Amino acid sequence: MGKRMYAIEVENLVKKFGDFEAVKGVSFKVRKGEIFAFLGPNGAGKTTTVHILTTLLKPTSGKAIVAGYDVVKDAKEVRKRIGIVFQDPSVDRDLTAYENMLVHGGVYGLRGRELKEKIEELLKFVELWEFRNKLVKYFSGGMQRRLEIARSLLHHPEVLFLDEPTLGLDPQTRAHVWSYIEAMREEQEMTIFLTTHYMEEAEKLADRVAIIDHGRIIADGTVEELKKLVGGDVIYLKVEDGAECFETDFGSCVVLPDGRIRIDVSNASEAIPRIFEAAEKEGIKILEITYHRPTLNDVFLHLTGREIRDEGGNLMKGITKARMRR
Amino acid sequence: MRAFEIMVYRQVKRFLRARSRVAGMIINPLVWLAFFGIGWSNAFRDTSIFGGVDYLTYLSPGIFAMTVFNQSFVSGISVIWDREFGFLKEVLVAPASRKETIAGRIFGDSAVATLQGAIILSLTFFIAKINLLGVISALGVGFVLAVAFSSFGVSIAARMRSMEGFQMIMALVMLPLIFLSGAIYPIAFMPSWMKALALANPLTYAVEASRVLLTGVSGIFPLYQSLLILLILTAVMLYIAMVSFERSTVE
Ligand SMILES: Nc1ncnc2c1ncn2[C@@H]1O[C@H](COP(=O)(O)OP(=O)(O)O)[C@@H](O)[C@H]1O
Ligand SMILES: [Mg+2]
Repeated sequence: MGKRMYAIEVENLVKKFGDFEAVKGVSFKVRKGEIFAFLGPNGAGKTTTVHILTTLLKPTSGKAIVAGYDVVKDAKEVRKRIGIVFQDPSVDRDLTAYENMLVHGGVYGLRGRELKEKIEELLKFVELWEFRNKLVKYFSGGMQRRLEIARSLLHHPEVLFLDEPTLGLDPQTRAHVWSYIEAMREEQEMTIFLTTHYMEEAEKLADRVAIIDHGRIIADGTVEELKKLVGGDVIYLKVEDGAECFETDFGSCVVLPDGRIRIDVSNASEAIPRIFEAAEKEGIKILEITYHRPTLNDVFLHLTGREIRDEGGNLMKGITKARMRR
Repeated sequence: MRAFEIMVYRQVKRFLRARSRVAGMIINPLVWLAFFGIGWSNAFRDTSIFGGVDYLTYLSPGIFAMTVFNQSFVSGISVIWDREFGFLKEVLVAPASRKETIAGRIFGDSAVATLQGAIILSLTFFIAKINLLGVISALGVGFVLAVAFSSFGVSIAARMRSMEGFQMIMALVMLPLIFLSGAIYPIAFMPSWMKALALANPLTYAVEASRVLLTGVSGIFPLYQSLLILLILTAVMLYIAMVSFERSTVE
């Protein structure tokens, strides 16, 4: 076992619900000990993939090996080695925090002193020890999340799945949860598979990111590698009347739904003077110009023409994507 | 056995927490005893139709069985809530045997339902002629009955995709099974089609057995026969519940 390099190996995984294909043949590998993030908008197929990898759903086709075992053929062996925090709350609201831990431990066959010590250690880790005898129904969303994280660590999983661990939490609580996740990687030698639609979350936590959209992985790599897909910098322009991509020769240009123009360039400080020149030639008046290093959102935009945050997909209709002539 | 044990613990703990709900569950059988039972017992002068005891005494074991039945069926079906609120997924990703886990939940619920039956039973002492020596065995019968119907509830819940059918199932199962069990009136006087339905109802055998044990009034079967049939039906229902739960997915 010790020599195995990958904690998760997925090949051509497909999941259909009736006629609808939620996961359309994804393949990826997660190395042992890394934090791997699935980044994608709502409905991309993240939860479905997690449910397959955690043996809750059977794949329609394809193969997935988790912690060295096949999720279909050796489901029980996989279950022994994984932990999961579900997207939707799964705490027992009529029990206290301590009892929730006790029941979880029991379901995993733990008992006695060892279990008690572990519960104390983990409740202290997520700073819930002083609330251990409080009923979970009186916990805030953030406290419930922390309890779920503590619970998922109780049986020492080799691979931990976190499905949108900070969904619906306020920014402060989110940062708090991030610090636990980072501490977990440091202290426990664990592989973490995380899904999120917050690009900051993937950027902050993940060693490698796979961007998933409509059931397909459209890019993967380290955050740096992904940003290189965009190029160097991203420039945003606001122009007077009628945003249109005008003739330039330095990169791809998109008109955003809010009327701004976005241009991907290799170097903003060189490109900006030339943009002014080109604009002047065309008789376009620039009102505002900003630029920044690309974010994962820019990468998503670059690859799909949509923003991750635009959840329904209706906003996208107005987007015109134009490749500039080289 | 650890998963079994911890599920019993969970169900009992949750019950002890929900005291107001418990009070609510006990009021229903009390209303039956007080208003239905006392009302009719004054109307029925001829005790021979009830095996020589007054109607309240005849009814009490029936209300005991009804309490256990209602309580256990509702807790079995509440596996749907576990699905809704995520606990089910917790259990399904765990390496523990699903059969064992659900059996633990069923036995925990059954202990709780039997306890509620015991509360009702102790109240009937004041209004009916209950044979004290039969109480322990009657509670045993109550427990077996509870296992049967929490299993039945689990089997239904495992097949239900939403809460929508819930009301219909309650209406279709709860009252008819009570009327078709001999809890409220003797099976002997039922028309034959109704009698046939009563004989297919596991609740019937629990009512019969606990009535013999608590009041000495026998119905259509001797005690050992009722017990045997109840045990066999319960074993079958428990097995079906375990298999249904094992196959359930989150899909
Ligand atoms: N049980 C199901 N039956 C039918 N469709 C489903 C089911 N679960 C998910 N889907 C659909 O599959 C797609 C992917 O869902 P999901 O994996 O939950 O996405 P994500 O977690 O990325 O938001 C969505 O369009 C969703 O509606
Ligand atoms: Mg999801």
